[in-house]
Amino acid sequence: MNITPVSVELNIPNDPEKIIDHTKEILAIILEHVALDIGYQQRIKLILIELITNSIKHSKEESTAINLVIDQPHLSIQKIEKGLKIAFGAGSPQIPFENIQKTVSINFSEENRHDIQPLSQYKFKFLKPDREEDPDINQMPEHFGFYIITLAADSFVYQYDPELKESSYIVHLNL
Amino acid sequence: MNVTRKEIDGLVLLTIVEKDANLTRSDRFKEIVLNEIESGSRNLIISFENVEYLDSSFLGALVAILKNLVPKNGRLTLIALNSDIRNLFELTRLDKIFDLKDSLKSALEGFK
Repeated sequence: MNITPVSVELNIPNDPEKIIDHTKEILAIILEHVALDIGYQQRIKLILIELITNSIKHSKEESTAINLVIDQPHLSIQKIEKGLKIAFGAGSPQIPFENIQKTVSINFSEENRHDIQPLSQYKFKFLKPDREEDPDINQMPEHFGFYIITLAADSFVYQYDPELKESSYIVHLNL
Repeated sequence: MNVTRKEIDGLVLLTIVEKDANLTRSDRFKEIVLNEIESGSRNLIISFENVEYLDSSFLGALVAILKNLVPKNGRLTLIALNSDIRNLFELTRLDKIFDLKDSLKSALEGFK
């Protein structure tokens, strides 16, 4: 196993029929550099499936740029997209944030809400949901993409570069 | 979206034939099951024996189906979920909301 940091840049076709194949290919690349138990592998697969699915849903590009940085004991998975910054639903604060001091609630739709921590005007972290109460079917969202990534990751951050007009979705896992 | 339908002792067993339960199939799948409920079926079993992975869109479809079925006093059991799919339900805590069973046999026993 290689113990020096490894960076891998990938270009994944936005083909819905190949999502699981590409997910397995990326996981295999990661496993060439670091041994992971089945639990970590499952978390990584969920994250990759949702990152790629998000691009297929929302990006006009034919492929998705995914960069891996394996720097034990850390793994970073970064998805980069050209285009407009992420936009929240009505009533949510928008990027660039005016107040970066406090946690805020945002939504993408009535059924798709998240708590986030702004880290700068153009950067925020998805916060893990409160899981103390028993889940209620009537309160469950019907959009799970970012929710799944937030739960599966140790950290999930979004960043927008207004000069490059580029969005980065950055997932960190502590291995 | 390829789904087979079979009636067993008053229950309806829907088996997803596809291996990819993803965004390209979630809307059609939801429509098929909601039509089944609309036509009067209340006790449903959905088999994932052929499904390799399930994405957030399909998970959302399942939640929408259950939200539709529960007020009608219906029951839904999901069977034959592979380890990755069961892990997704556990991560999202949907395993506490959905009735998950390993096999058709255990699902049928649960309906007795």
